[in-house]
Amino acid sequence: MANIDTLSARQIASAVASGELSALEVAQAALDAVEAREGEVQAFLQVTPELALAAADRVDAARAAGEALPPLAGVPVAVKDNMNLVGTRTTCASRMLESYESPYTATCVQRMLDAGCVPVGKTNMDEFAFGSSTDTSAFHPTNNPWNTSCVPGGSSGGSAAAVAAGEVPLALGSDTGGSIRQPAALCGVVGMKPTYGAVSRYGVVAFGSSLDQVGPFGRTVEDVALAMDALVTGGHDRCDSTSQEVAPVFAQHLDASIEGRRVGIIPSFMEAEGLSPEVRSAVESAAKALEAAGAELVEVDLPHLDAAIAAYYVIGPAEAFSNLARFDGVRYGYQEPNCRNLADQSSLSRAHGFGAEAKRRQMLGAYLLSSGIYDKYYYAAQKARTLITADYAAAYEKVDVIIMPASPQVAFEHGAISDPTQMYLSDMYTISINIAGNGGMTVPVGLGTDSGMPVAAQLVAPAFKDERLITFGAALERAFASDGAPIMGVAPAFSGKGGELA
Amino acid sequence: MALTETDVRGIADYARIALEGDELAQMTSYMNDAVDMLEPILAYNLPDVDPTFHPIGGLSNVMREDVCDSERGLSIDAALDNAGSSRDRYFRVPSILGEGDEA
Amino acid sequence: MKELTEVLRDWEAVIGLEIHTELTTLDTKMFCGCKLSHDDEPNTNVCPVCLGLPGALPVPNKRAIEYIVKAGLSTNCEIQKHSMFYRKHYFYPDMAKNFQTTQGPVAFAMHGRLDLEVTGRGAAERPECAFGAAEAESLASASAGAVGLSTEMARNLPEHMAHGGTGKDVAQNGSDPESAKTSALAGLSGYDTHGLAVPERHDDGSYTVPIRILRIHMEEDAAKMVHVGGEEGRIGGAAESLIDYNRCGTPLIELVTEPDLRTPEEARLFMEKLRRIFVTLGISDCSMEKGSMRCDGNVSLRRRGETRLGTKTELKNLNSFKALHDGLAYEICRQAEVLEEGGIIYQETRHWEPSRKRTVVMRTKETADDYRFFPDPDLAPFDLTDEFIEHCRSEIPELPDAKRDRYERDFGIKRADAEQIAGDPATAAFFEKAAAGLSGKEAQTVANLVVNELPAYLKSVAATLEDSGLTPEQVTTLAKLLASDAISSNQGHEVFVAMAETGEDPEKIVDERGMRQVSDTGALQPIVDEVLAACADQAQQYRDGNQKVLGFLVGQCMKASRGKGNPKLFNELLRQALS
Repeated sequence: MANIDTLSARQIASAVASGELSALEVAQAALDAVEAREGEVQAFLQVTPELALAAADRVDAARAAGEALPPLAGVPVAVKDNMNLVGTRTTCASRMLESYESPYTATCVQRMLDAGCVPVGKTNMDEFAFGSSTDTSAFHPTNNPWNTSCVPGGSSGGSAAAVAAGEVPLALGSDTGGSIRQPAALCGVVGMKPTYGAVSRYGVVAFGSSLDQVGPFGRTVEDVALAMDALVTGGHDRCDSTSQEVAPVFAQHLDASIEGRRVGIIPSFMEAEGLSPEVRSAVESAAKALEAAGAELVEVDLPHLDAAIAAYYVIGPAEAFSNLARFDGVRYGYQEPNCRNLADQSSLSRAHGFGAEAKRRQMLGAYLLSSGIYDKYYYAAQKARTLITADYAAAYEKVDVIIMPASPQVAFEHGAISDPTQMYLSDMYTISINIAGNGGMTVPVGLGTDSGMPVAAQLVAPAFKDERLITFGAALERAFASDGAPIMGVAPAFSGKGGELA
Repeated sequence: MALTETDVRGIADYARIALEGDELAQMTSYMNDAVDMLEPILAYNLPDVDPTFHPIGGLSNVMREDVCDSERGLSIDAALDNAGSSRDRYFRVPSILGEGDEA
Repeated sequence: MKELTEVLRDWEAVIGLEIHTELTTLDTKMFCGCKLSHDDEPNTNVCPVCLGLPGALPVPNKRAIEYIVKAGLSTNCEIQKHSMFYRKHYFYPDMAKNFQTTQGPVAFAMHGRLDLEVTGRGAAERPECAFGAAEAESLASASAGAVGLSTEMARNLPEHMAHGGTGKDVAQNGSDPESAKTSALAGLSGYDTHGLAVPERHDDGSYTVPIRILRIHMEEDAAKMVHVGGEEGRIGGAAESLIDYNRCGTPLIELVTEPDLRTPEEARLFMEKLRRIFVTLGISDCSMEKGSMRCDGNVSLRRRGETRLGTKTELKNLNSFKALHDGLAYEICRQAEVLEEGGIIYQETRHWEPSRKRTVVMRTKETADDYRFFPDPDLAPFDLTDEFIEHCRSEIPELPDAKRDRYERDFGIKRADAEQIAGDPATAAFFEKAAAGLSGKEAQTVANLVVNELPAYLKSVAATLEDSGLTPEQVTTLAKLLASDAISSNQGHEVFVAMAETGEDPEKIVDERGMRQVSDTGALQPIVDEVLAACADQAQQYRDGNQKVLGFLVGQCMKASRGKGNPKLFNELLRQALS
């Protein structure tokens, strides 16, 4: 029979619903694939066979009892390790939380479970989501399935790699400055960051509270649409003041026509220093494909985009300092032994519990919020945010979506970028979307002509018009693949390894 | 007006992050690089632009009713399980002032 | 050390209060659905939010916001429609997140005012020189020099961020917009003394003084810490500390006064008045004993006529009205002594020790704390609607001052009694039922019973009015018996206790115990004659000018009547007989 990695989430759900496959068979195949592939990918920090098999049993029992199955019943899902799930540790890939047992389950994870998903494990990430390579994980790096000497991107690198390696069809990530869209681009999978507020943040360990947003990875736009429907089913989360009602109708927008609709291109983005020629030509070919499908290409200008990176590296660290202040080793987390007083215990627990980048961001944030500095930098950053948001709003007067790169380059080798401030530039195309709060989606379009590594385009849409990402993403998929197959599929080195369906 | 090691030490003391060995020098160098990178933002301190603290459109007045939510409550075991140190039903911290060496 | 009144003739004490009140009558915490409770086992009422667990998010309690709006409206504040929650960072394990969620430069309620009536001995604390128009300068200069949370933040933040702080977008309470406008003096370079209300002295030495309120903001309370191994549970010398997060996240409102108070008595009266208002609103049990209402005092001294402020100290552990008065009084005298000996006052936090009647240093503040305030991104901003504010206003019951005036007017009772009764909603309701339809002597007698007998009885049996079983009808009947001289006031006390204990009708008690007072001249005259015959010597002494002996003769009459005769009438009859 087929390998689990050839099936999309939709195909698995319909096979389970029809009885063609049992959820247990699916779960076992997924666990088998993970077992066979993890050695080289190292996408997971924790694999959860007990949870997966128990969830699969429940699905099968429900079906046997004649109950209606939820839409993603039996679909294996991987969850980024900054999301609480009872029965797992939530480590944020940090020594600080190495043995932290989740006391509750995040709303986004619960909604995937409510949709029938089977949790396979918790995925690797940059420590506390600070990074674009997953190399800052305190436990181990994750390898890019397309070339294991390269990074998968980050910070949700484990989730992207798990999907690209065919270990799971769906995974959840979080995106504060590109942490879903950049690794999706580097791993050749679809990754979506919905509008801020569309998905509840409750239970997701915060990095930048005004920037963080949860979203799905999949190998097809359809799977991402189905996951989005699961994430917003239930509406506003009463546990998250900033969450808003979004209708679970993403999958209904897969086949909408783009005929006569307008796609924006930002010329300065396409000519930016640091954009590699192969990524540029990939984005151009994606734009042309949309044009060929009937859309009109329109140049738009976002005059204040140059402020986005600086604004992000003010707001992000400031919020991160504040959010990570709670990790003092008292209520949870690493506690330095044998301290003579509380101040020593806090300072040493934090010094030894956090890795270098986590400490750097918090130090920068503590400085930026200090008296006399705060009003210069923080206010300026939030004013730039107002201008950038207004720029996007003005652009959307003219266009339905904008197309741009997701990452300036393809995946780089482990350790290739060692300077932290250089690393920050790899988010240059994703950051402004978090600043403005609207949604964006990475769609892979093939392999780079120079590197042979995945290249991708990023679509961005107005706030709470995330269904347009599905529509235009599906149009790209139709242009670059055939018959609803994924554009890229599973990375060849991993395709078919383990995961045979009995 | 670069940040000195003394400045950085002060921030680290405040942020409860002990810097050991050459970490202070490295952190100082990083902080100055980062602050240089952020310099362009200073041009945006414009008097006629309002800051956006919450990227949530016009969302305001989000409140909940004053009703007990016992479902979310944690048992004493769940509350204390992740703590590095506890005594009876309490979380425990070492001496706050510490062996005569006031922090 | 010199006496307070002596010190205050030479020195002006500039006092400001920060009063924290837990909203104990709510069911749940500020940002999560955990139950509010003082009595549960440690760490019973905790959840991911109030334990500050990774990933948890706050959602504000609507009724808490309603309560603070009511508190603001009831203290003549402007309700600020636009405001935000901020994060105030400090590393201390009583705050689970290592930041407190509180408000920024704009609080829900700002620029209010309460007028204090200072009477009796306490009024003498303010010397004669501290009245009249000249006090405007004192008020303005004290405000302008005061450094507090909001003034500091207002200086640090671009002005336009203080949405609504400039007087627009606020809901006026209507009572006194003029004073509200002039209250935000801090930060101005020159003093604006125009329109500042100043204390007015009355002929009897009492006076009325307006106290401005800078702001009332919403925040969350911290956890309780138990320090183990140190002396008396104090932090110094403790080997370890234990933390109970049950209280963490309790809704707390902090009221900050302008530095308008000038005597410990005024501070005490302000606190009492505020407590009466909050209890009437039903937003808190306001127990200073249990710590649900807490007060810190800031005090500095300056020579009379000086416009620069002296260095202030902050006083903690002012946990009763008496402690508030005595702690401030001590600290004022201490500062005066230091200054008069050429010493320096250090900016420090001091702890009032009631048992030793002194303040001791807790910690010195060499530099201002940097709390790294910024707007909490997890909480949506507030944009209160007129409907919301009007709904809150419509739920405000009659406040103590209005009630006091009504009692004085409608029942004709003494103002001081009216004030005391009106301050407690349960007592007031009881009084209104007991005094319904009464006036004059009868109403005043009800008031006397409610002010004197009732609290004394409740205290003796450690019960609340509700639990005591006393009915207003009993008190009405007893008051009528007293007002008609059917029984004496001593008997009144006995009947009160008896009716409270047995629940019986006072008429019945009086009859059963044969207490009914005889006020019939015909019945009493023979007794008077009898006593005068038996006590001829004493009668002669009276006639010779010894007035004191009359008391003895009245006593003999009472004895002869077995306590039933009306002593006033005996008095009258004896005088007649002996004249």
